[in-house]
Parts: sequence; structure tokens; C-alpha cells
Amino acid sequence: MAEMTPRKRALLCVTGNKRRADRISCMDTLTTATVDQMNAVNAPFPEANRDPQLAFKLAAAAWEVIGLEGFKLPFDLCVEAEAFGCKINWGRIDRHPSVETHAFNDLKDLKIPENITETGRFPLKHRVEEMLRKEYGDYLPIINQVTGPFTIAGHIFGIEKFCIWTKKRPQEEVKEALMQISEMNIDDCKKALQSGADVICIADPSATSDILSPQFFRDVMIPVYQNMAKKIGAPVVLHICGNTSAYLPYIADTGFDAFSIDAQVDPAFAKAIVGDKIAIVGGVPTITALLFGTPQKVREAAIDAIKKGVDVLMPSCGIPPRTPTANFKALVEVARCMVYV
Amino acid sequence: MATKEEIINGFVKAIVDGDEAAAAKWANEAVAAKLDAYELVTKYGGDAMSVVNQKYEKKEYFVPEVLCSANALNAAVEVLTPHMKADKTTVPAKVVLGVVEGDIHDIGKNLVKIMLSAAGFNVIDLGKDVPLAKFLETAKDNKAEVVGMSALMSTTMPAMKKVIDMFAQAGVRNKVKIIVGGGPVTEEWALSIGADARPHDASAAVGVTKDLVAKLKQDPSSAW
Repeated sequence: MAEMTPRKRALLCVTGNKRRADRISCMDTLTTATVDQMNAVNAPFPEANRDPQLAFKLAAAAWEVIGLEGFKLPFDLCVEAEAFGCKINWGRIDRHPSVETHAFNDLKDLKIPENITETGRFPLKHRVEEMLRKEYGDYLPIINQVTGPFTIAGHIFGIEKFCIWTKKRPQEEVKEALMQISEMNIDDCKKALQSGADVICIADPSATSDILSPQFFRDVMIPVYQNMAKKIGAPVVLHICGNTSAYLPYIADTGFDAFSIDAQVDPAFAKAIVGDKIAIVGGVPTITALLFGTPQKVREAAIDAIKKGVDVLMPSCGIPPRTPTANFKALVEVARCMVYV
Repeated sequence: MATKEEIINGFVKAIVDGDEAAAAKWANEAVAAKLDAYELVTKYGGDAMSVVNQKYEKKEYFVPEVLCSANALNAAVEVLTPHMKADKTTVPAKVVLGVVEGDIHDIGKNLVKIMLSAAGFNVIDLGKDVPLAKFLETAKDNKAEVVGMSALMSTTMPAMKKVIDMFAQAGVRNKVKIIVGGGPVTEEWALSIGADARPHDASAAVGVTKDLVAKLKQDPSSAW
């Protein structure tokens, strides 16, 4: 039998075939970078977001320093907004870049340049993916993250304005704008797959049920996601922050391979709702366990998540930069010694 | 011409429905009928927003609906403001609100502001990405009763503890009640860093803030 590598294991687990793997995967499809890693490999924020050599070192640190079984790029959610012309606040070592200004005043002003994924930091991301594939061969998976269409809409139009349009504008126009944005995401993913990426993570934190109604999610977001699932052509993980319990029945029908749940969603509940239609990944709370907890608390949370059926063991959301290495490593230790229960 | 009752009902319905044009129309009708503009805004506007609040709590309404209602109320207030004779007898409690430094997600904070303003609080909005010392400074300068902080990203939550510690170090922690909120903020964590409450959402913030202000007033040493 061929050797089981972290890449093969990750691809099995993320597509819902964990029982064909030797144990659970602990690739992290969300933000992996912490201040400890930045210091260890000498690749700090904000420079590591813009310099390919530093980005390579910091992405590799997920494996080299923590032992996470995969690489993920980029470290922030601003690549798309930046390419649209939004002003970016680059942050500092323990602060992610954030979007400062919007690009369009109105829905009908939306114009996506045809070559947008060849501008801004898109090429940097794809280049670093190539570098990782060259350096590590086929041993570890590479995750290409895209910012989800709803979150991008919030960045380029302003989230409150866009929220109001979901009520005041014809739903078809809102959906069409999101569809156009999703085509840009798809184009980005195609380039990433050519550059060596194996897995796509769509991070759409703003599309949370703390903001949107389940009806809007079902009628508008699901068709947009289905369009992405149909065209991307690689395993896709969707991440939405917050309590997404009410969305789960719809998320099961997106056609995506996995859904990443935040700490507010119980993994066992999520599994019970979605069945085997979509894998459930995540399970280790970023705040109570990873940031403010102890290695013991992380181990307990990780074991609990595996018992509740998660398919990939990973943090419930993007890792806070000040997370202690000992806590982050405790997650990896559990994955490495746990068989399924 | 519409009766007083028709105007009030129309006004309340327009706000609940989030219909800006109708809210402005009923506000103009109220001016023409010489209704008390102040009462219309504070009492009936407040009533309408508390219906919105309840619908939000029951998950009939979500953030977009609440934003539309707030816009409708604002449209009406714009029409009515020149006709308002403010009631100067009651001084509303002051609430300093802001999203902590490093965080630019202000939608939750804005909802709390909408709800607290509609309930009669004087809200001093510091906006988003607020330098931490600004909370203490503003509370002091305005003799505020309540300080509210929000963080939507788990990465910026630790800033809340720093702000609470600043109040303690300045010896004024007992002058204010401090509430915190935002997606990843749990009640357990909020209490552990020394906050007074973590309302579970924007609508709950109204009742929680009222209770905290009442409690604060019982303590004579809390006066600035």
C-alpha cells in the first residue's frame, strides 16, 4: 500500500472520506500565522503580506514551527478589495490588514477588470504557492484561500449599504453582483490550482446568520456558492463565522466538500443536520481554548471535537496572532495520536 | 386630513417596515397637523424601534431590516427636528460606544447605537478602530454613566481588557458601568476581564444598560 502522506490524508478527510485515512488530518484552511511563527522564521506582519520570500517562510512555518499539516495562503482577507482599489490599512505584527475605503458608490457601478486576478497581490499568492509546491513536493497540501463574494461586496460597497440593498434593491440585481464577484473568485482558484494548490477555502465571514436571514442565504447565497462549487474543480471548504446553525440545511446542498464551523456551532449538531452531504471541519475554539486556554484545555477541546465527528481537526476561526505556540501545537498532537471514535 | 391616530399609526408602521419615504411623508403630515414633534420621535419612534427590536430578537428581522428601520426613523427625525421643543427636565444617561483599536467591524456597535438612541440614551459614538485611551478620556470629559466596547474579531478582543484596566488604574472604575459585545465575546470571558455585562445582542443591550444605570445611581460614590 502506498504511503499515507499529510496531503493524501487531508484530501480524504476534507472530502468526507476520513475513514479511508489512517487518522484525522490537521491541516488548517483558515489563517495560520501567529506572532511566534513570525519571530521564529523572521517573517513578520505586515511585510510578510507583501513580500514573496517572507510570505513563503511564514506559510511554511505552519508546518515547520507548529506542525499543521498543510500550507495556506494568503494570511489576510484584503487581496480582492485591494485589487479593486480599496485603501488597505496594513496593520502591524499582531494585527491583520484591513480594508479602509470602499471602491464603488452604487451596485450598478460594479466593474470587474477582466485581468483583475493578474493584478495587486494575486500573482504574489500564486507565486508563493508555486514555491511551496516546488520545495515540499507532493507531501503537504496547499490551500488557496479566497475571500467570499458577500464579504468582498461588504468591502467594496460598504457592508451596511450592501445590507440595505439586500432589502431595497431587486434581489436579482444583488445576486447578479455577487455572481460576478464569484466569477473572479473562480478565476483566482483556477490560477491557484495551476500553481500547485490542492484545496480551496472560501472565507466568507460576513455572510453570517448574525447578519443575514436564512431566506436570503438560501435564495441568493446558495446559488452563488453552487456556481462556485460547479466551476472550481477542486475540493472546496466554505468558512462562515458565527452561529450558522440555521444555514446548515442549505449549506449541505452547496455542492462544496466541507464546511468550517465557528465555535458557536456544536460539531455533533452540525453533523446531525448535514449527514454525509458535506464534511464538517474545525472544532477547536480559537478564543477560549487556543488564545486564552492552556495546552490541556486545547487537548480536551480537540478530543471532544473528534468525538463529535469533525472530519478535519482545526481552529474554529482564523487564529489570533498572539496564540501561544504550546496551545497551537497541542491541537496537532491530538490529531497525530487520535484514531476515530 | 388624516387624524392624529392615523398619523401615529402610519408613522409607526413606516418605521417598522423600514420605509423611508413613508416615514418622511407621515412626519410631514404630523407637522401639518401640528402634532407634538418631540413626543412623536421619542415616544412613538421609540415604540416603533422596540417593535423592530422584538422582531430582531425573534429572528423575524435580521441586520438589513434593522438598518432599513433605522434609516426610516432618521428620515422622519430630519423632518421633525426643526419642530421639536426638547423636554429639558430629564437628562438622559450618557453612553460612550466604540469598536476597539484594531477592529473595523462596526455593524454590531451601530445596531447597539440605534437601539440605545431610540430608547432615549445620549450616545457618544467614537466609531471604529478607537485608540484604547480614548474610551477613558471621553468617559471622563463627558461624565458618562456607561462605556460600551465592541470587537468582532477574536484577534482584537484582548484590547477590551486593557481598556477596563485603564479605568481601574485611573481610579474611576466605579464611576461607570462597562458593557462589551461582539460575535466572539462570551459572557464568561466578559465577566472574567471585569466587564459588568455582555448583552447577548443589540436588543438586549437596552434593558441591560437601563438596569446598569439604575444600579450605578444607587451608589453615591459613582458620581464623577
